[in-house]
Amino acid sequence: MAVSFEYVAKETVTNLWRNRMMTLAAVLTVAVSLSLVGTALLLRQAVNRQIGQWSNNVSLQIFLDAGASQPQVASVRSMIDQTPQITRCTYLDHAQSYAQAKQVLAGSPTAIAALTPATTPTVFKCQLTSPGDAATVAATFNSGVPGVYRATSPSQSIRVMQQVTNVLQLILLVIAIVLLVSSLVLILNAIRMAIFARRREVGVMKLVGATNWFIRVPFMLEGLVQGVLGALAAVVIVLLSNVGVSYLIRHYKVSVLGSAVLPPHDLVVTELVVVLIGVIVGVAGSSVAVRRFLDV
Amino acid sequence: MIRFDNVTKSYKNLRPALDDISLEIQKGEFVFLVGSSGSGKTTFLKLLLREEVPDAGTVWVAGRDIGELSQWRVPYLRRNLGCIFQDFRLLPNKTVTENVAFALEVIGRPRTVVRTQVAQVLDLVGLGEKGDRMPHELSGGEQQRVAVARAFVNRPLVLLADEPTGNLDPATTQGIMKLLDRINRTGTTVVMATHDVGIVDTMRRRVIQLDQGRLVRDQARGVYGFGDDMTVSSRGVPAVPVAGAGGGRAYDMAGQPESGRVAAVRARRGVR
Repeated sequence: MAVSFEYVAKETVTNLWRNRMMTLAAVLTVAVSLSLVGTALLLRQAVNRQIGQWSNNVSLQIFLDAGASQPQVASVRSMIDQTPQITRCTYLDHAQSYAQAKQVLAGSPTAIAALTPATTPTVFKCQLTSPGDAATVAATFNSGVPGVYRATSPSQSIRVMQQVTNVLQLILLVIAIVLLVSSLVLILNAIRMAIFARRREVGVMKLVGATNWFIRVPFMLEGLVQGVLGALAAVVIVLLSNVGVSYLIRHYKVSVLGSAVLPPHDLVVTELVVVLIGVIVGVAGSSVAVRRFLDV
Repeated sequence: MIRFDNVTKSYKNLRPALDDISLEIQKGEFVFLVGSSGSGKTTFLKLLLREEVPDAGTVWVAGRDIGELSQWRVPYLRRNLGCIFQDFRLLPNKTVTENVAFALEVIGRPRTVVRTQVAQVLDLVGLGEKGDRMPHELSGGEQQRVAVARAFVNRPLVLLADEPTGNLDPATTQGIMKLLDRINRTGTTVVMATHDVGIVDTMRRRVIQLDQGRLVRDQARGVYGFGDDMTVSSRGVPAVPVAGAGGGRAYDMAGQPESGRVAAVRARRGVR
């Protein structure tokens, strides 16, 4: 027997409206939790892309003393040439280094003001055959080579940054999961109230021989609609926040974060995942409610 | 149409609600199910609807062992069984027409069929003019007619009635009984559980009496008779105990042959 589409649609809308406060609570909770899920997913992708970008360009920076003499620079250069792990190096003199510092420190004008081209250390930016060697190579240059102020491997700072974002992501996901569980419970409760409100109808339906699925489907669909509505709200929230972050990055020309602006493809995939989770939460909540409270 | 073979059903921690019941009801019969409260009448009806399953024995409806039905087929069994109750069980937020139509809509009947069948059955129960009323605007008798219309609109093979006149005054009761009689004449089997001595005695149909879950009387063209709490039938007709049957509880009207079926049942159970 085909369940009439018209009947099911009518029943579902009536139920949602009759139960609108519970529906609102369930939809909002789904929306908030899925926004967090979406944000966490986007954050992870952005950080991964940005880190990939950085590690491709530079694995090691050797800062020289601001007052390093020409022979000292030359000896460091020859030392670099003799290090097999280093594939390529570019040297930034005072003026170039100052220009880069201004860009990196765009956010803090006071720090820029404290710098002059002459006081900005010159720097060798080097690429390594494998980023894993960065720590050992950096250690060689830090072992008292004259003229070297400090050799840093960005991969160390990247690792720190990765750990920070991992922790951040974990926190976001834990909050999101707690909220997802509570939205599941809210949907379950909303469906349970809908079942209770319609117990007379359900009784008559059972009596006159409506099939179990015919009785169940409107309630299941109600949960599904709540899940999907919440997910759609979350999609909008995530899209807006992504647009906002991209705008900030472009507007302030934070070029080091340029790769954190995600391409449309990644966004679409993330949003699909968010909608899918919404569907799952809605169907799961209403299935449990139907199974436990609808005695058919 | 309906057959019980040695059916026993108990609920938790109680004596059996039905104890080794065997009987058969033919197509087109009108049967009164009598007995005091707790005698098992409602359990009898619930077993027919498969709201309950027997602990032992077999219940047959329309040639099918309904204990064998898988869960998803139970709705299809119920489409063959119309049901009415003492409390009507109408949906208060739907009109008369909508209440009756609901029974067809939820089993997926097309809209044109619903419209014609509902109009027909409302005429049959005498409510053709009141289709747009809400249940609370109707009298008790009219509400029960709506319930009958809803139970009968799908033309079930059997109409089950659980004390349908329990809430009605005698005059209204008569109207409902006439209606059930008319439905019975269309070939529909009617099984009615009742406490109403008057209607059982007037209608003179087959009477099945239960007492504490046991079948104590099965009598064609019977009267309400007397249970343990009654000493004379309401019409004052002297009743004569059937010798040795059912521990002295079974009675038969003077001059009326005992139902052949109950004799067969006794034979099966080895009661002499």
